[in-house]
Amino acid sequence: MTYLNLDHVTKRFKRETVLDGVSLDVERGETVAIFGPSGAGKTVLLRLIAGVLDPDEGDVRIDGRSVVHEQPEERGLGMAFQNFALYPHMTAFDNIASPLRALGKSETDVRQGVERVAGLLQIDHVLTHLPKALSNGQKQRTSLARSLVRGPKLLLLDDPLRNVDAKLRYEMRIELPRLLKQTDATVLYVTQDYKEAMALGDRIAVLDENRFAQIDTPATIYRHPATTKVARLLGDPTINLKPTRLGVDGNGASVELFGQTFPLEVEPVDAVDCLVGIRPEHIKVSMTETENGQPAELDAVTPLNVRSVLLLKTPDGGEFLASCSEAEAARFPRGHRQVWLTIAPEHLLAFDAESGERLGQRSAGGPAP
Amino acid sequence: MSNLVLDSVTKIYNVKREPDVLAVDAVDMTVNDGEIVGLLGSSGCGKTSTLRMIAGFEEVTSGDIRAGGRVLNDLAPAARDIAMAFEGYALYPPLKIRDNIAFGLLRDRRPRAEVDAKVKEIAGLLDIEDILDRYPPTLSGGQQQRTSLARALVRSADVHLLDEPMSQLEPQLRAILRARIKDYLIQNKLTTIFVTHDQTEALALADRIAVMNDGKLMQYATGDDLKDRPANLYVASFIGEPPMNIFRTLSRSGGDGRRLEIQTPDGGSASALALDLPVGTVADNDLTDGRKLALGIRPHQIRFGSFTALGPVLSGKVTSNQWLGDQTHLGIETGSQLVIAVTDGTVDAPADSDIEITLPLDALHLFDGDSGEALHHGLNKRDAAA
Repeated sequence: MTYLNLDHVTKRFKRETVLDGVSLDVERGETVAIFGPSGAGKTVLLRLIAGVLDPDEGDVRIDGRSVVHEQPEERGLGMAFQNFALYPHMTAFDNIASPLRALGKSETDVRQGVERVAGLLQIDHVLTHLPKALSNGQKQRTSLARSLVRGPKLLLLDDPLRNVDAKLRYEMRIELPRLLKQTDATVLYVTQDYKEAMALGDRIAVLDENRFAQIDTPATIYRHPATTKVARLLGDPTINLKPTRLGVDGNGASVELFGQTFPLEVEPVDAVDCLVGIRPEHIKVSMTETENGQPAELDAVTPLNVRSVLLLKTPDGGEFLASCSEAEAARFPRGHRQVWLTIAPEHLLAFDAESGERLGQRSAGGPAP
Repeated sequence: MSNLVLDSVTKIYNVKREPDVLAVDAVDMTVNDGEIVGLLGSSGCGKTSTLRMIAGFEEVTSGDIRAGGRVLNDLAPAARDIAMAFEGYALYPPLKIRDNIAFGLLRDRRPRAEVDAKVKEIAGLLDIEDILDRYPPTLSGGQQQRTSLARALVRSADVHLLDEPMSQLEPQLRAILRARIKDYLIQNKLTTIFVTHDQTEALALADRIAVMNDGKLMQYATGDDLKDRPANLYVASFIGEPPMNIFRTLSRSGGDGRRLEIQTPDGGSASALALDLPVGTVADNDLTDGRKLALGIRPHQIRFGSFTALGPVLSGKVTSNQWLGDQTHLGIETGSQLVIAVTDGTVDAPADSDIEITLPLDALHLFDGDSGEALHHGLNKRDAAA
């Protein structure tokens, strides 16, 4: 059942349109990641829901009721921010307690409420500390605890892991989903990090240039991105996009890539200039000649942590990034060498060269992995 | 150029009415001709002070910096034949991008045709061909940083020093630019030292990485060695995304092998996670009864399922199963602590399901629990860490 509903919400600052008629339905108990580059309007969207800003057009409904005329405190939300926004003169306990005290709860209820969320977030031992005595990780947990203490039905999290160190960010990314499920809250989670969006969102709403470019499950967005923009925003290394022409004949659609023809699984469309997309992990690189293998030169290997990135040049001057496991990369020492590439056609994506939209939406909304 | 040697290089800043600050503490390292070296650490670790001493912008408090046997300590920056890219870009605002890049080459009195060709090549490499006729203030931070990099790379100096060279780059360009830059540095045999706080950048570009913390060199090794043979717990829990899982353990003698008992975070021992090590693999003196130890394993070396022949098996509950496109990250609650496991593929184990994982002995690392020094890599092997 829909708990939060954004209905054609538009927000302008002077002449600049920051949100352009955006609509989104969030189910009760669902976590939706609002993901997009900086400046896309993510934070403005959260503020409109929180009631800190008012929309110029459109409606915001929580549990079926329009809230645009309600004050922020009437909306019953919990919020946590990337800069933590803790009261510096209050202990962690008092910071977490502040929403309960504002409601006039008894000190017994306050203590119980604070201890419950502090236990959940494992900060019981620092409750008497002032913010300045807390690590960034503890500040961030305190801020989260404060957002959860009232048992809000709707939780707005604005890039909460942005300012914590890498190790804690991984731990929190792994722990947060369970924590959020325990609260039963409906959650909007704003982030610029596609991995966080994929890890935490039941669905991802990709915000780009003031509109939602795609709203779907992480798997569908990653495998069937609606536009080249979305395809480039998710995935590291970035998807390879090559200009070519989509041909259509009796056998269906196909594209040419470095002189080879690949069948394409799209609904028949007219022949059109297109960009063909292939993710780096779908290019297999071999040191020996393979059947249908495309000869190429391996120019550089840049190891990441779990996978390595390979820079490849095809004889037609094309440049591709492939990725492989750390163990496979151990075969490729420093310097240039001859290799052969294989691409499985089922992983190819085709986009309209002009609009950037994916051609043939047959697999849109397809099954999760 | 021949080797660049840092011999016990130390930097102490004297601050008025404050205690002296030991920024760089007796760092020893050698950079070979043509080698790409990354100085990696979090802010305040001494990496930038080290780079600035090599450049000649900071005085060396004690120790020597030598190139080809010659001590550089007292040479002015201009006399050292270095090319540098700064984190703050330091572009000349009144000069077009083209002329900013060409500046060093023209000062070196290279012929105009050669300069033009080189500028064109490096601009293509860094995807800035379309902005060559613009001026720095009109560019985004990412474009300015690419220009600053182009200016440093276009010259062939004895040493190229790059300070956080890719920190502002557009995320979608990072992987391809890293690869192209690495190829360019290798093909042109440019000796390069770069500073970064980003281990991904260090691992991607560098032949060897100097991990610094608190002014000290924690380890100077290839990326593979930092991952497979971390010298201490600091490096083990710093390198890796996510980093190594660390279990606090106590050694217990008895039985056929040596027994390690994994402690709960409050210091109690969780004997359910105890593991026995094969006889004769770890030197006896490593495992005096009651010695505090730490056991580490990298997330992607954990095996899903029970393979008792490979190593100890833990059972736990999946707290989350996160597919990220080309890899999957799992959180597994194992009684005493959360274990993070990573795999290239997908894992059929939804949240809240029970799971068994195997910690292969050959992927386990043993550290001293107090000093953090590595004792042993691969617990089925005889060779110790040293």
